[in-house]
Amino acid sequence: MSDLIALKFRLNGVGRTAAVEPQVMLADLLREQLGEIDVRVSCDQGVCGVCTVLVDGIPTTSCLTPAFLVADREVTTVKGLSGNATGLTDVQQAFIACSAFQCGYCTPGMVVSATALLAEHPSPDRQTIRDWLDANVCRCTGYQTIIEAIEMVAAQRQAQAQTTTAEAAD
Amino acid sequence: MPDTLRQNLKLSDTARQDARDKVSGEGPFAGDITLPGMLEARLLRSPHAHARIIAIDTSRAEAVEGVRLVATGRDLGLLKQTTYGNWVHDQPVICTDRVRFEGDVVAAVVAVDETTAFRAMELIHVSYQLLPPVMDIHEARSDAAPELFDQKHPNVPMKLGRDTRTANEPAKNVLFSYDFEDGDIDAVEAGAAHVFTDRFHFSRIGHFYMEPWICVAQQLTDRIELWSCNQDPFVLRQDLSELFGLPEGHFRVRTAYVGGGFGGKSYCKHEPLAVLLTMLANAPVRLLMTLDESMLTLSQHDGDLVLTTSVDAQGKLLSRRTEIDLNGGAYADASAQVCARAAYRSSGPYRWQAYHAHSRVIRTTTIPAGSYRGMGGTQASYASESQIDMIARRIGMDPIAFRRLNLIPPGEPFKDGDSKVDADFAEGLDRVVSDLRHVDVPTDGPWAHGKGFAIGLKDGGSFGRLGKATVKVTTDGRVLVLCGAIEIGQGATTVISGLVADVLKVPREWVRYAAIDTDVTPFDQGTHASCATTLTGNAVWRAAQKLRGEILELAAGELDCAAADLDLREWKVTGKGLSLDLKELVRKKFGRFGFELSADGFVQYPKEADAPFGAKHLYWMPHWVGVSLSVDRETGEIHINDLVTGVDAGHTLHPGGVRGQDEGGTLVALAQTLFEEITYNEEDELAVPTPLDYRVARASDLPDRYQSFILEQGMGPGPMGAKGVGEAGMLGVSAAVANAIEDATGVRLTSLPFTPEKVLAALDAAAE
Ligand code: FES
Ligand code: FES
Repeated sequence: MSDLIALKFRLNGVGRTAAVEPQVMLADLLREQLGEIDVRVSCDQGVCGVCTVLVDGIPTTSCLTPAFLVADREVTTVKGLSGNATGLTDVQQAFIACSAFQCGYCTPGMVVSATALLAEHPSPDRQTIRDWLDANVCRCTGYQTIIEAIEMVAAQRQAQAQTTTAEAAD
Repeated sequence: MPDTLRQNLKLSDTARQDARDKVSGEGPFAGDITLPGMLEARLLRSPHAHARIIAIDTSRAEAVEGVRLVATGRDLGLLKQTTYGNWVHDQPVICTDRVRFEGDVVAAVVAVDETTAFRAMELIHVSYQLLPPVMDIHEARSDAAPELFDQKHPNVPMKLGRDTRTANEPAKNVLFSYDFEDGDIDAVEAGAAHVFTDRFHFSRIGHFYMEPWICVAQQLTDRIELWSCNQDPFVLRQDLSELFGLPEGHFRVRTAYVGGGFGGKSYCKHEPLAVLLTMLANAPVRLLMTLDESMLTLSQHDGDLVLTTSVDAQGKLLSRRTEIDLNGGAYADASAQVCARAAYRSSGPYRWQAYHAHSRVIRTTTIPAGSYRGMGGTQASYASESQIDMIARRIGMDPIAFRRLNLIPPGEPFKDGDSKVDADFAEGLDRVVSDLRHVDVPTDGPWAHGKGFAIGLKDGGSFGRLGKATVKVTTDGRVLVLCGAIEIGQGATTVISGLVADVLKVPREWVRYAAIDTDVTPFDQGTHASCATTLTGNAVWRAAQKLRGEILELAAGELDCAAADLDLREWKVTGKGLSLDLKELVRKKFGRFGFELSADGFVQYPKEADAPFGAKHLYWMPHWVGVSLSVDRETGEIHINDLVTGVDAGHTLHPGGVRGQDEGGTLVALAQTLFEEITYNEEDELAVPTPLDYRVARASDLPDRYQSFILEQGMGPGPMGAKGVGEAGMLGVSAAVANAIEDATGVRLTSLPFTPEKVLAALDAAAE
């Protein structure tokens, strides 16, 4: 057995410790050792984006990221996006409103990617959304409903921001 | 049912039943099941297309610390039958003497964890004697080709209806043949103005469902329990029973959410091996494949289709002869069904005076082919709708007018003895023609522009022609639906729960869809053929209505009035100026520990010898497609400018669900049309062995503009005229694109996929 690497990191806002072999990937640490079943794995080769999580806010394919690399970082899975156990984020709600999933297997990674996209581009155009989503494969939906969900969130946030500005001006 | 209620039955505003589970990542999927002491099983697969197994040395692998056992073809003693398959049982649970495709299973390692299993697998030594591979259907039928099996297999003859013959393993390397001969075709052809023969090649793609194939099995004291991603738990239970020679009830099959299947998770796959391993290990075993391996488990059928079609001087279609050879790959799986259906469906949505179809499944040393969304209808629609367009152009008719002249109108039988067509094909055709937008594209430079249309078609309703359901309601009015429709992404749980909520007039959140478990779920023949809405939906609907009737009767007895005067809403009965709380009534009748009122629903559609398929098809599933595209004459590249597709939902129970089925299927079909393909290289090795090499559609492959529509023609057999749409999206795309390419360039492509190389080659050939 190779030497174990001890690491500390934050997972969905909670401090965690783990000891992993150097070849263990983040997806396996999260799923198998820590029981985070909302992190799903499909291709296991960095191709499909199903296993996407945020590492310090950056979308990362956890199946290809060695677990020890997240030492002292903040890892967010789909479950951690809303910041509480029962709530859903506006992105998740938009996925529901737009029927932006079918089998749901790609959905955790899709939601995480969409969240990161909107953080980086608050009002993305279609091309930006498509380019960004190219990191995530969905075999069920044909992507249009996912794109619409992202556009819906962007529009909602913009409308909200305008109301807030208007209120502030009053 | 009163019209007011009908309107309520649009579930448009409601979220899917599985929404929260899926957007929050909760699941569960079968891969989330962990059992105490669970071991991991991994499979060693053949690197060769065709070889004899001379010896397998597992000793070094067995010596690895943490390895529980290594199973090979020598360890099949617990099985009563060692091969399985649909109609023809030819697939070994684990190879014994020969491997027949790159990926055939040679050994299984069971170990404490995945890493150990993989380490041990590398230490297994297999000596092979190479045999000549048989990579395509032409080779397989040649005199030089080896026989892929030494003997015939146990099999079940497929009995269909009038004018039809089928045969299992009728000739060398032929798995199955189907013949249907309707009408005096020689006489009809003799009187025709034109007879055209055209040949088409259909490619093959993988299912590429995102949840890799998985089965978790556990040996209990006197039975086996398994969690599987299989969409046919009861069929699986029966197969396991036959293979192991144990009663069906010995096996308890449980199904969680299934992460996509598209046909690839139907029927028995490697579950018998998982069961064998758990029995040998006497511990829970998880057999989890990689996505690469899932791709090796099953594929679609490639094949050749030759259509000979006659037409009169006015443009009336007269007769068609269909000859199809499909590549069945190494083992049977569901090839026979695909073969029969592809042949029968190649007549398209048109009237004929005579129609003959002959189809065969040819065995090759490639990935086994089986059920794939569209089930032969994709191959059929591609060839048929291509040729219809070619004929229209040849006889100088507008392809749309030519189609319109020959379509079967709604209400007329598809063929004598079959069900009446329950779709208005012309309405959808008009819609795609009018919705396809004019695209402003440069007319100079290398670009050639064209438009193309197609009406893809398949029937719905497979061999699983029955549905069964139970609806029960607790003392406090909360509802549980039990039925065997698997949630594989199609939205079955949403549609079915919604139906129940509307009949019992309770909020949707009050209805729970029971987990699938063969011990308690009412029997189901499998979530197939886009039938969750029509078959299971009808059974559920009946159960809910019966339950509603019984509740009202109970209340009527109490209130001393007629049930017809009462109404039910949110677990209260009202009428005659009274309101009765049902919780109190149930307690009064059944005591303070309460009760569960329940009712069953059942539907079965009869067999009919006069029907060509031995039973009328349940419904008809058209896919209307219009495409506007540009072809770069210099590079051969195709650019889709606008795409319009539509389906007939009969009556829409969940618009998001219907739309998703069409758009999702359409994008897969578009990928197959333009680039996606499973191929083998010159060395007879898989050219696309991993998801890294295998290209599927991504978001940027979506056309610039794509609009889908839903027609509600109201003639389906499901609740309120609903029908399934799950496979429609695959059907019309390839032909519409081929037709548009000819419209643009005058060149006809007949071999999928239409890659730039093929387009250029065709343009060059035409220029010579
Ligand atoms: S599972 Fe990690 S990218 Fe596919
Ligand atoms: S919803 Fe099934 S893969 Fe995206």
